[in-house]
Amino acid sequence: MLEVSGLQGGYGQIQVLHGLDFRVDEGEVVVILGANGAGKTTTLRALSGMIETKGSISFNGEELVGKGAADIVRMGMAHVPQGRGTLPELSVEDNLRVGAYTRTDNEVDDDMDRWYEVYPVLKERHNQRAGSLSGGEQQMLAVARALMSRPTLLLLDEPSLGLAPIIVQDLFERFKQINTDTGTTMLVVEQNAQLALGIAHRGYVLESGHISVSGAADDLINDDAIRKAYLGV
Amino acid sequence: MAARFQLTQGTSRYRTYKWVAWGLWILVLVLFAFAYADTASIEILGNKYNLGLPRTSKALTFAIAVLGLQVIVGYTGQLALGQSFFFGTGAYLSAWLVADHDWSWIVSLLVVVPVCFLLGMLFGLPALRIRGLYLALVTLGLAATFPAIVQLDALDEYTGGAAGKTVDSDLVAPGWFESLANGIAGVLQSLPLLGQYFGEGDPSSKEVDRIYRFALIVILIFVLIWLVSNLLKSRTGRSIRAIRDNETSAAVSGVDLTMAKTLSFGLASAIGGIGGMVYVAELGIASPGDFTQLLSILFIVGLVTGGVGTLSGAVVGGLVIAFVPEWASSTEEFPGIPERWLQGPTGSFILGVLLIVLMFFMPGGIIAGVRKIRARFLVVTPAAPLELGAPTGTEADSGSSVTDDTPTGDAQPDEPAGGDTPDEVPTT
Amino acid sequence: MDLFLNRLFDAISNGSAYALIAMALVMIFKATTLINFAQGEMAMFGAFAVMVVALEWNWPAWVAVIVGMVFMAAVGAGIERTLIRPFDPADHLPLVIITLGLFLAINALAGIIWRFDPRAFPELFPSGNALTIGGATLSWYTVGVVSTAVLTAGVLTILLNKTKIGLAFRAVSSNLESSRLVGIRVGPTLQFGWALAAAVGTLGAAVYVADPIRALEPSVMVRVLIFASAAAALGGLDSLWGAIVGGLTIGAVQSIIVPYTPIPNELSLAAAVVVLMLVLWFKPSGLFGTAQVERV
Repeated sequence: MLEVSGLQGGYGQIQVLHGLDFRVDEGEVVVILGANGAGKTTTLRALSGMIETKGSISFNGEELVGKGAADIVRMGMAHVPQGRGTLPELSVEDNLRVGAYTRTDNEVDDDMDRWYEVYPVLKERHNQRAGSLSGGEQQMLAVARALMSRPTLLLLDEPSLGLAPIIVQDLFERFKQINTDTGTTMLVVEQNAQLALGIAHRGYVLESGHISVSGAADDLINDDAIRKAYLGV
Repeated sequence: MAARFQLTQGTSRYRTYKWVAWGLWILVLVLFAFAYADTASIEILGNKYNLGLPRTSKALTFAIAVLGLQVIVGYTGQLALGQSFFFGTGAYLSAWLVADHDWSWIVSLLVVVPVCFLLGMLFGLPALRIRGLYLALVTLGLAATFPAIVQLDALDEYTGGAAGKTVDSDLVAPGWFESLANGIAGVLQSLPLLGQYFGEGDPSSKEVDRIYRFALIVILIFVLIWLVSNLLKSRTGRSIRAIRDNETSAAVSGVDLTMAKTLSFGLASAIGGIGGMVYVAELGIASPGDFTQLLSILFIVGLVTGGVGTLSGAVVGGLVIAFVPEWASSTEEFPGIPERWLQGPTGSFILGVLLIVLMFFMPGGIIAGVRKIRARFLVVTPAAPLELGAPTGTEADSGSSVTDDTPTGDAQPDEPAGGDTPDEVPTT
Repeated sequence: MDLFLNRLFDAISNGSAYALIAMALVMIFKATTLINFAQGEMAMFGAFAVMVVALEWNWPAWVAVIVGMVFMAAVGAGIERTLIRPFDPADHLPLVIITLGLFLAINALAGIIWRFDPRAFPELFPSGNALTIGGATLSWYTVGVVSTAVLTAGVLTILLNKTKIGLAFRAVSSNLESSRLVGIRVGPTLQFGWALAAAVGTLGAAVYVADPIRALEPSVMVRVLIFASAAAALGGLDSLWGAIVGGLTIGAVQSIIVPYTPIPNELSLAAAVVVLMLVLWFKPSGLFGTAQVERV
């Protein structure tokens, strides 16, 4: 579904990605691990069209490099940014509705109900300002919002960041659930290797803008290289 | 781009370059003064354009106001739109002292400067809490109130109300200057080819007075630029510049924000007041309609046109905002433009459009453009590494340059070797 | 008592006009965190357009107002597209300077086209009084202006809260990056905001000048901008209803408070600025605004 080769990208003068090659197949959960500064967030931003890129990103056969974020969303990719990216002044419900912005069908309300079922706490607080939710709740909101656009590929940027372990555990279980129930393909970028590999099929390790290791999740969990990348040794 | 010449600051070669540049500028100014001492005009396309010393002097008073604005906007990065308030205060205050109390202009400075400085500090106080655009708003409001204040019935006897305050500009050239002027005029007139532009015989006493006043204003500007330039290199100055780059960082690094901000407001306002004083000294009258918030916006135009963050840009800016409206209204015929259009405030229209165009194509103003061109021929390198540890203004800011600027191509008074930032500025 | 009532009515009338311009400022601020210093001049230009349509083309007054609003909406959209969008939205200084340039240019343009003699403006509200209480009169004009302001706030609120484009607008105001990530086209959304602001501004200028004691001339909105921005800032620059409260407050300062103090009436503008400074001193985000956190 997603085929990336020779991806370069960065912020103006500062180039962060120096030629990435990886792929994500339909229905998979793929994880990208790496320490701070390795370029994980940049990778996702490159995919969703938020920064200028060179190289090739092939998504369902179409080339993404050179396209803008608004178009990429409409092609079926949704990106849950680091730090949740909630719209704090808007209500929970409006946040969800905004997620469905690009849709033109009339099943939006049905989808909202569905996500209220998956995340009951959102239903409870559906009229509250999104900014008043806890970190974990905002993360759920962010994911639900992204899923409201019925994407075929979901990008998750460090979903565990700043959240308590119990919450994170629960969060990741639900991610796995969503993947098995709906078949939504997921690309998760994470520092918490243990947790991420626990729900993934395959994984990559990113080091200073390069992919250094790749393999099946089970293999990676037991690999020394992970510890190397994780600790930056 | 291949640099043709390389000069290192602090070397004798650099010093020579600076002295030569200075010399050339002074020569140009002298030639200009003597050629246009009478009310001169140029005719282009059937329109008569005035180009005399009095108008140039008026432009220079605007330049002084813009210079003051540089301290706030250019160096602390805060947008302040109240300069016309202080300009007007300086004008009225000095007019009143000179006309009603027989003070001399120079002495009136002793009152104008502190008053404007204090008023500026007073208005600097809101800047402590109010940031960015709110500050622009409040200062604009301030500028808007000036005409009303000055026309209050209670102040009528001091300000002359709606009619304004007239003052006899009695700055007359002393005897020695007259002789000097005669001498120079004689020399210039005897030049082959060019001599005819400098009139015949001794300049009239009116012309000599004009040249005298012009000379005074020019010297004043050089002095102010020199003062501000040195201030900005000082410790206080660096803290002022640190505010522009990042206020919170500056505070965290120990810069006393309160002090720095209020000082910069005070300084800017004082300079504005001086400008106002010179304005009324040259023009002879201060009227309320001259000092509205439109003038404040005009000063911003001058600031941006010359170049935000440059000191010499103030002069360029002042010239532009004084002469463009002047010449626009003198234009009665222009091919392709209906006459009716030329009768309106075309000058302001042009300046408004200019401001917008500049932000697109030359945000660093004219000085930045000139520097770019100069950089093709001349590279000035610092003599020694920059001082570490002090927050310096960054040259990487788009279009703005760090203090070490002077009237283009000019010399500064001998700088100590080292610790200076390069002249050249990369502009985006 | 009569005098007080008349002053009260003046306060409400002026305040509502200020509120309309303030709402325009709020729209642009919400979308871009920018204060459009040219808002007043754009409104003035729109009012001139209304005048031309009503008095030179002889169309009905309110139709002329709609035409003027649509015209300025197009101009506002054009300004956003050509002059605002090319710049980095995070860097305010160049954008503010551009609005200052527009201020100058539009003001001068109006002067070039229409000169500076005061012009007649079509009547938008019935003349005469709706109510007479003792010696105080509540004119239809006042009723009209207040209703217009309240109606406009209502319509804008519905627009923002119940429509898709309104949702997009609120999203963009809240978090630009996230808006992009859900597929909102930010540029056109902002353009919409500018168009709307220009239209509302024109409406504000039109009702302001429709007052029988006022005449239309290019500098008519120069002072009003100050009052309106004080009103907007008082209400918290990102709140529409705050703009109404702010407008009424400023109107009250001008027409009620100042006359009862030794402050001369000519200084009502100064008084408004002082009030603004005081509010900003104690509550930097205004009365109803959302506080801005600054990141180092």
